[in-house]
Amino acid sequence: MAKILDKQRYKCALGAMQTVQAIERALPILHSGPGCAQKLSDTNGSSGYFSPNIFPCTSINEKDVVFGGVKKLDSTIENALKVVDADLYVVLTGCIPEIVGDDTGEVVSRYADNDKPVVYAPTAGFKGNNYKGHEQVVNAIIDQYLEPSDKKQKGLVNIWADVPYQDLFWLGNIRELENLVREIGLTPNTIFGYKRGIDNINKIPEAEFNLLVSPWVGLSTVKKLEKKFGTPYLHLKTLPVGATETSKFLREVGKFAGVDEFTVERVIKEHEDYYYYLIERYADLFLENRVINKQFTVVADAQYTLGITKFLVNDLGLVPAKQFIVDDTPANQREAIAEEFKKLNYGIEAEVSFETDGFKIHDEIRNHDYHGYPLVLGGYYEKDVTEELKGNFLNISWPVQDKVVFDRAYAGYTGGIRLIEDIYTVAVQRFN
Amino acid sequence: MSELRQIAIYGKGGIGKSTTTQNLTAGLVEHGKKVMVVGCDPKADSTRLLLGGLAQKTVLDTIREEGEDIELDRILKEGYGGTKCVESGGPEPGVGCAGRGIITSINMLENLGAYTDDLDYVFYDVLGDVVCGGFAMPIREGKAKEIYIVASGEMMALYAANNISKGIRRYAKTGGVRLGGIICNSRNVDRELDLLRAFSKELGTKLLYFVPRDNVVQHAEINKKTVIEYRPDSNQAQEYRNLAQAVIENKDFVIPTPMTQERLEEILMEYGMMELADDYKI
Repeated sequence: MAKILDKQRYKCALGAMQTVQAIERALPILHSGPGCAQKLSDTNGSSGYFSPNIFPCTSINEKDVVFGGVKKLDSTIENALKVVDADLYVVLTGCIPEIVGDDTGEVVSRYADNDKPVVYAPTAGFKGNNYKGHEQVVNAIIDQYLEPSDKKQKGLVNIWADVPYQDLFWLGNIRELENLVREIGLTPNTIFGYKRGIDNINKIPEAEFNLLVSPWVGLSTVKKLEKKFGTPYLHLKTLPVGATETSKFLREVGKFAGVDEFTVERVIKEHEDYYYYLIERYADLFLENRVINKQFTVVADAQYTLGITKFLVNDLGLVPAKQFIVDDTPANQREAIAEEFKKLNYGIEAEVSFETDGFKIHDEIRNHDYHGYPLVLGGYYEKDVTEELKGNFLNISWPVQDKVVFDRAYAGYTGGIRLIEDIYTVAVQRFN
Repeated sequence: MSELRQIAIYGKGGIGKSTTTQNLTAGLVEHGKKVMVVGCDPKADSTRLLLGGLAQKTVLDTIREEGEDIELDRILKEGYGGTKCVESGGPEPGVGCAGRGIITSINMLENLGAYTDDLDYVFYDVLGDVVCGGFAMPIREGKAKEIYIVASGEMMALYAANNISKGIRRYAKTGGVRLGGIICNSRNVDRELDLLRAFSKELGTKLLYFVPRDNVVQHAEINKKTVIEYRPDSNQAQEYRNLAQAVIENKDFVIPTPMTQERLEEILMEYGMMELADDYKI
């Protein structure tokens, strides 16, 4: 029976227009109804080369449903190419043309000889959410634009992480992952954000390996790259936050890439020394201050729920209550992800629930005994329930509505420190 | 004035729905009835015999070329005996959504006031297979309350009729649509009458009329006329008049009881069709 899904944390696949927006000088062209872009757009940091929502769009109506919308699509692409100077055009389809059966691929193929590439990603809402849509966009670029290359660049690593804009910290996180990889002597290659774009897309086939840092988003991408270009991949499910996981991350990447242990350990030591120096300075606060919570809950997508749970247990020594993954993780990935929650230090295991319904999540939070007030890291939706329980709340996952984020990150050693700062900033305000 | 009866005609592609509907319409006209025929098939050949050719511009062609701000007389033409003829039309084959096209056209007919009070009958002649919700439009939203399925003693025609009954049953639960009976458009196969009677009974309905096969139908079609107009004195013209009479007098409207594939094949076996197929010799 149909039911109401309370506090959904994702958008439909067409929301992947933000993935395109995150590629510098790339332009989404929408083959969809007139309201889709407006509803799906998120203006948090997505202005720039082009608007966050005023994209070329076929704005199809009933007439296009009956007679097919391909003529309108053709003229929309043609005119977009004339008036918007971009490096890459990505045609995204909404539900209507996919149901009617418009042959979008054929129309897009008419632009195969265009100076700038035009590709097409089927992102009908009924195909899934914007996490899947993100994969569709990246996969479309690989399938339709990239060609195998004989040239392989030693040490070049494509890094794939979570979804731009869906994750407000995406830019800082991906840069931090780049930095870490660079420090152990490899050359990172990413396609999102400042000065990446088409030049870096062109380098994808030349990479020595692909590094996927995500519980499940992007797995189809690295598999595709392995098949198409023979590039091997390393899949690390945990976004490294703080020293424990980041050091583990560096060792695993180093081992996979054949970087000598000495180099890796030198980099780790340097970072850990500084990391623990900072923590030591606040040791009294951590030890004496009674404001921090005993138990915590994370309500976020798989990336943050896993990454932050590991950090809070391993680095901060907190006890996990139930954790919630809200991104509608594909069923066949769930078991392996849940398994990760059993790999915590001190023999601790966290219970995790794949749940998309906010009402049920809040119900469970209310009914759990946190042995004091809870610490909840989640979407803005969790603010009220946490306040109701007199707990401490930090807004880290979509929707993020209480902060402006330029390039802050929670990934890496520095990211761990930032997260401690944020959590304790909330905690110390309690009695001030 | 009697109440408007809205009737949808369904059946396998090529079974003779359009031919039967138009000849039936001509029969009703002779009984003094005012009839509108709405063709719900992208091929737009449901009113050819009444209009004396495919002179009609379809609703969707008109919308495509002139937009939606049009007058009724652009899409509604008068045919044989004062019948009102409309063709929904559709997109070019292979593009767009013909089902949505039918919904659009019927909505447009309503908006333009095509359903006038003087009408006694409206017929919807629908494309062979009800492939999506759009082709069920005439029986949704309380339009056609009465359905006749055109069939013959051929296996695929009965498969289709059974399938269509499943759709009728679905909408019967929510709307008031009912099956009025099966019209046999004979193909002269063995034991056709018995088979159709047994099939109709199994569906919970009746064989409304058995229209025999006669070449005059083809002659009339070549001449772009109904049989009643082309050869008013022929036996076949009388058959269509009788069919019209049967429709006028029909009061048995049921929710059909479609059968399983196995049961349908049992009936076909019983009337020898399956075996005959094996014995077929040239």
